[in-house]
Amino acid sequence: MTTPLFEVVEPGFLTTVQDLGRPDFAHLGVPRSGAADTWSAAVANVLLGNPPDAAVLECTIVGPSLQVLGDHVVALAGADLGATVDPGGRRLAPGAVHRLSAGDELRMSGSGDPAVTGARAYLAVPGGVDETVVLGSRATCLVAGFGGLDGRALRAGDVVYAVGPPPADRLVAVGRLAPGGPRWPIGADDPVLGASTVRVLAGPDTEPGDVAALAAADWAVSPASDRRGLRLDGPGPRSRVGAGERLTAGVLPGSVQLPPDGQPIVLLVDAQPTGGYPVVAVVIEADLPVVGQLAPGAAIRFVELSAAEAWNANAARRASFESGWRALAETAGRNGLWKPADG
Amino acid sequence: MAGRRPVSRGAVRVLPFGDAGVLVVLGDRIDPAISSRVHRLAAIIRGATAGEAGWRLPIPAYASVLVPVDPLEPGVEMAMGRLLEIAAEVEIAPVRATEGSAAPIEIPVRYGGIDGPDLGDVAALHDLRPADVVELHASVDYRVFFLGFAPGFGYLGPVPAAIVTPRLATPRTRVPAGSVGLAGSQTGIYPFDSPGGWRILGRTDVRPWDLRRDPPALLAPGDIVRFVPLR
Repeated sequence: MTTPLFEVVEPGFLTTVQDLGRPDFAHLGVPRSGAADTWSAAVANVLLGNPPDAAVLECTIVGPSLQVLGDHVVALAGADLGATVDPGGRRLAPGAVHRLSAGDELRMSGSGDPAVTGARAYLAVPGGVDETVVLGSRATCLVAGFGGLDGRALRAGDVVYAVGPPPADRLVAVGRLAPGGPRWPIGADDPVLGASTVRVLAGPDTEPGDVAALAAADWAVSPASDRRGLRLDGPGPRSRVGAGERLTAGVLPGSVQLPPDGQPIVLLVDAQPTGGYPVVAVVIEADLPVVGQLAPGAAIRFVELSAAEAWNANAARRASFESGWRALAETAGRNGLWKPADG
Repeated sequence: MAGRRPVSRGAVRVLPFGDAGVLVVLGDRIDPAISSRVHRLAAIIRGATAGEAGWRLPIPAYASVLVPVDPLEPGVEMAMGRLLEIAAEVEIAPVRATEGSAAPIEIPVRYGGIDGPDLGDVAALHDLRPADVVELHASVDYRVFFLGFAPGFGYLGPVPAAIVTPRLATPRTRVPAGSVGLAGSQTGIYPFDSPGGWRILGRTDVRPWDLRRDPPALLAPGDIVRFVPLR
């Protein structure tokens, strides 16, 4: 069952369909794709009772304006892009579930300073955004033009479909959504938004002093950044013997490359799966959502962890999501919005 | 947990790639013999870890295999030990006689003109005529070393020494799909319009990536590619 949800009035700066992407097709040259901030995408999904990896709309800096085609609930997470609903101008906060009615217009016209509050908002819809699954994913592969909505960002006139309401045993009733319904985070600060410290481990090409030089400087995200990578502006070229002379090899999102000009590049989810620049550090998995939220102009600092510290940080981040999800399921169940699958 | 230091056994080095990957390095140069071992190792890793939670498909390149893993399960330290054992088996395993496609894959190319804007410069750099560069580029059977850069893009080589040419100093913001490029001793076909710094010698109508095909990539590692000049 597929349900028309929205007609796109204004597409915004870059609005794409994303899930967790295609991690198992790198050997064919396929970038991972998927949400740049997988934490917030998962939060938006579980707020609605979806699986954490359902397809969402990723809205960048200036979000879309969407004509609402029916009565639905949606969830919003990630950066606050100033979402409102007309008529009435009702404000839609991130980290919450919202009810929309046919004829409403949902706008995300940008707000505040994305360099401070984050670049990407995630809009989850009942059951996930419905598009054809290509190579195991609904994510948009912009470089090759497949996946998502015809392999491209949304345009005016496009219609966004949902897989359908979550199973009846989970979404009890749209009509019962009360003010103060399910919210995230519960009893915890959001670990992703507004963070500017990024924890790294040494990389396969790290030479003595590389990580210390990264960590000693204040970097800023360059306007030349996109979903392929964050280009960083910093204290100027750092001389390094052998820079730019690595035999092309596999890379992963989170790789910190050092091109010959000395200005690092932090690879994001649309990066090519192989690269020739030395990888001098690698962002820990728990902080990939942090780099996925950094907008041009944002400050970024690196801190080196030991392997054991990274393990603990990842374990803590996952535990935090699990406990948030559990708490959400309990309160959402009490509010009569949805029931946990095993509750 | 102990620190995760690179470990070596014979010619194989196993390095942590952050907390979510392990890089297995088999050599330090572009070499068909190393490439054969790389793909044999990738296939064995793929088979040995198939269906196991936390192991992603390996990413082979010229002389290394990157294996993405879940940071907690199996974790990098455990994965490094496992991969070192697997790599040791590959070292003693016999080399298979055949690999890749039997017949060369022929790629018809329109060299020069608007399709190959760098043909003249490449010729001038080597004190050759453009027709000589075309003849040289089309004179050899190229090996597909691996796929990377973009969906379906094969790294092909080695090109004849007489036309080995560095990348452009300033990459183009847009190289049209089908462009046949040259970078150092490598050559390849751009599957999509994309930015690129390779020297463009010509263009083909062959589509290296087509989702109606299974697999969608025309080329596979070990395949042989031959460029055929169109008149």
